[in-house]
Amino acid sequence: MSDIILEVENLSVSFKTYGGSVQAVRGISFKLHEGETLSIVGESGSGKSVTIRTILGVLTGNATITAGSIMYRGQDLTKVTEADFHKIRGKLISLVFQDPLSALNPIMKIGKQISEALRLSKGLEKKAAHDQAIELMRLVAIPEPEHRYDQYPFQFSGGMRQRIVIAIALASDPEILICDEPTTALDVTVQAQILELIAALKQKRNLSVIFITHDLGVVANTADRVAVMYAGRIVETGTVDEIFYEARHPYTWALLSSMPDLETREELFAIPGTPPNMLHPPTGDAFAPRNTYAMKIDRQKEPPEFRLSDTHSASTWLLHPSAPAVERPLVLSERIGRMLKRREKS
Amino acid sequence: MIKYTVQRLFALLLTLWVILTIAFLVIRLMPGSIYEDTDLPPRLLETMEARYQLNEPMIVQYWYFVQNIARGDWGTSIAIRVSVPVWEVLYSRIPVSLLLNLLSLFISLPIGILAGILAALFQNRRTDHAISFAVVLFVSVPSFVFATLLQYTLAFRFGWFPIVYSTSPGGTPYWWSMILPITALALGPIARVTRYLRGELIETISSDFMLLARTKGLTVFQATVRHAMRNSLLPLANIIIPMFTSILTGSLVIERIFAIGGVGGLLVNSLNANDHPLTVAILVFYSLVSLLTILVVDLSYGLIDPRVRVGGSKNE
Repeated sequence: MSDIILEVENLSVSFKTYGGSVQAVRGISFKLHEGETLSIVGESGSGKSVTIRTILGVLTGNATITAGSIMYRGQDLTKVTEADFHKIRGKLISLVFQDPLSALNPIMKIGKQISEALRLSKGLEKKAAHDQAIELMRLVAIPEPEHRYDQYPFQFSGGMRQRIVIAIALASDPEILICDEPTTALDVTVQAQILELIAALKQKRNLSVIFITHDLGVVANTADRVAVMYAGRIVETGTVDEIFYEARHPYTWALLSSMPDLETREELFAIPGTPPNMLHPPTGDAFAPRNTYAMKIDRQKEPPEFRLSDTHSASTWLLHPSAPAVERPLVLSERIGRMLKRREKS
Repeated sequence: MIKYTVQRLFALLLTLWVILTIAFLVIRLMPGSIYEDTDLPPRLLETMEARYQLNEPMIVQYWYFVQNIARGDWGTSIAIRVSVPVWEVLYSRIPVSLLLNLLSLFISLPIGILAGILAALFQNRRTDHAISFAVVLFVSVPSFVFATLLQYTLAFRFGWFPIVYSTSPGGTPYWWSMILPITALALGPIARVTRYLRGELIETISSDFMLLARTKGLTVFQATVRHAMRNSLLPLANIIIPMFTSILTGSLVIERIFAIGGVGGLLVNSLNANDHPLTVAILVFYSLVSLLTILVVDLSYGLIDPRVRVGGSKNE
């Protein structure tokens, strides 16, 4: 495997609120290798976005990093001051947003928003920045870039705006591209185009990508490795195949069961209950109250991480040697069978 | 854009006509008239009634009234400065009032914007608290209280400024005497702009495109000035209209306190003296100023925000 470019170690982030401190991220660790796509999945409020905002150093004022480190090229990003951070942001790590409708300044010309990034990161002159911005617009497949340069965001469709946001993110030749649910606000056909674009750009520019999403379909198409997050922790991590075909954590099972495929006839599975309130994270396994496989120990003690292979590990007491043997849900097994069959055919 | 402006000008004239009509009706509905003086000889009353068509039905009177105004004849003052054309009375008083009001407006905008940015950038810190405290104070206390306070302390006790307005325009003493009335008028609007801009900026600063601006590598301050400011100016343009009308009404009292011979004092006097032609003319003057402000603000939306640019441009 290639070099590690970003290493998050035991990171914890909490927010001060009037009700107390909300523990959004509770000791997560992961590595990003050069040129790979790491996908972080989980439902809303599981701490995905907080994690990447921490990496980018754009947390809101009431957030504090309570523990851990983010190592990037020998530098701990949790210790970089704001004055230095704005040089790292943009130049080396760039972000693509969830909602392209609100990610662009509504009253600034599209071209200017791209060339601004170019002038900041590369110190280009006005003319050069203009030319490169048009080059970038061509790269992300905007038709008639010269003409489009002087237009405003409201004259662009959602998919085109997302292309522009990607162009802005690429303007500074970043090494790491972080995509925060880049396709959530787009309709399905446009989604596919954007995913293809990101994949192509990743190849062309040898980018390392962190992909935040709650859409497992997107994960299957884009990721090399997957980290499943729940209640501020990574509960299972592995390669795409390991997560999709050999998942071991009940939460991953639940996630996979709640994703329909073409043959789904029965009523779609929904995970019962709601995610825990992170003002008072539960003792024991945070998923236990919603987990049909929960055992007594799940409510008392947090499960450690069990290694299943070099790349695959999961945090659930079910993997403990003295735990009863539990099979994954039947619906899921059937679905995995279908997926495997389809894969063999193609 | 030109077509839109012309349309708006027509609408302005229409509004002005409605205001004229209401003014005409209200004034005739008001109790008291200079012609009801029982001491006047009946012959004189008859002559006056004939001169002003007061013996005709209301609708006919209204017709004469509109005709005269369409010809540019606003009538003559009948009580304040008898037999002097209304236009002449106004003409001598408008410049100083306009100067006072517009200066207050133009001074309050930059100061308010600056204070608003500071408060938003240092949100919930000491700077913000200090500014917000001053804002509450200036918004809630009416301008005439400040006028009296300033007049008493700075002018009377310390003698730094003249107590009243100096009547001869031009020169240092003249401008010096304008400072207190302008300050008194501008404090409220400054506070309003500050409060409004602080709220708008705080909302804009937490938006996604500000985050994108920061991930491009801009510092917080750069991002605020380059990206957040203009987005917050549009809602700010909205409050300029009520702000200016509040300056205008505040000016009615302030002009009296500082003995400024402007239009404001004249309106109160003419109403009390039943000088109807003069009252109508002053009402129209104030309406015209307010309507023009609204027009300017509406047209400026297009300059600030490309999304509301009307009529299409070559880019579309």
